[in-house]
Amino acid sequence: MAIRTIDVRERVMARNDELAADVRRRLAEAGVPSFNLVSSPGAGKTSLLERTLDALGRELDIAIVTGDVQTQNDAERLARRTQKLVQAVVTGGACHLDARQVQESLAAIDLDATQLLFIENVGNLVCPASWDLGETAKIVIMSVTEGEDKPLKYPKMFREARYAVLNKVDLLPYVPFDVERAISMALEVNPDLRVFQTSALTGRGMSEWLDFLRAQARQPVVAR
Amino acid sequence: MHELSVAMEVCRMAEERLGPDGSGRLRLVGLQVGDDAGLEPENLSFCLDALLSQPPFGEARASVERCAGNVLRLDYLEVDDGNPDN
Ligand SMILES: Nc1nc2c(ncn2[C@@H]2O[C@H](COP(=O)(O)OP(=O)(O)O)[C@@H](O)[C@H]2O)c(=O)[nH]1
Ligand SMILES: [Mg+2]
Repeated sequence: MAIRTIDVRERVMARNDELAADVRRRLAEAGVPSFNLVSSPGAGKTSLLERTLDALGRELDIAIVTGDVQTQNDAERLARRTQKLVQAVVTGGACHLDARQVQESLAAIDLDATQLLFIENVGNLVCPASWDLGETAKIVIMSVTEGEDKPLKYPKMFREARYAVLNKVDLLPYVPFDVERAISMALEVNPDLRVFQTSALTGRGMSEWLDFLRAQARQPVVAR
Repeated sequence: MHELSVAMEVCRMAEERLGPDGSGRLRLVGLQVGDDAGLEPENLSFCLDALLSQPPFGEARASVERCAGNVLRLDYLEVDDGNPDN
């Protein structure tokens, strides 16, 4: 036997990051800010997008890519709220989206006629943290029924995110959830996190969120 | 949870480098996994060993070395070149 050792010394994420860089460059060239929405299942990513489309859909051209493990349910829910094509990615069991899937989705999106791109990731606070999709920023959504300590349990995700949305605030009277404590835990993990509080059901807190999106859509996008 | 996707990517990298013929002669895949990489090294080894026993691979295994930081690196490949001297 002659065993030969081949030195590789390559980052495993190198290929994904190359594709993500291409996505980021194309979005920057077209001036499209893009947000990768991540959360545990059921925190309200799709509901927040539904409300956002209802409120901003006529004012801004919003494109959406949704990732689901097995169904296209979320894409169908969102397609009812917009004239634009909603790109559905079925990951076939994978617990996260990757940059190749987003790059392929972009082929069907007219970026010159787009002012804002949302990517709804697979519901999971672990795996999507490791995959750069070429987005402007990750937005982590947590809901008041999940307990305050999610940021401490999933620090990587809260560190990767630039924004956090605390959703389902309409339920605060019914669940033991300390908003201050949750926010301070999130800031403990990531002091730069900007936190929104919303109810995708009643619309409470939506105006600050919508103003933020309007401002993002007006700002030139800088490729990292 | 995403150890399987990472394992599949490692296999893709190995196959890209070795080609179908070389892949069959792969014996060991050396990886470095950092404590902050967000991966469970034992689970990753398990997934890799499962994939590396399937075609185009033959009887390769994974050797996962832990280290500090946010590192996830394919370090080296060991290939059996047979018995060239005989
Ligand atoms: N009470 C309340 N329920 C919500 C809110 N947002 C979402 N939901 C409900 O939570 C469930 C999961 O929402 P969905 O948007 O599908 O979550 P996703 O898995 O993160 O996309 C649905 O039954 C929604 O109606 C909210 O702000 N308040
Ligand atoms: Mg959803």
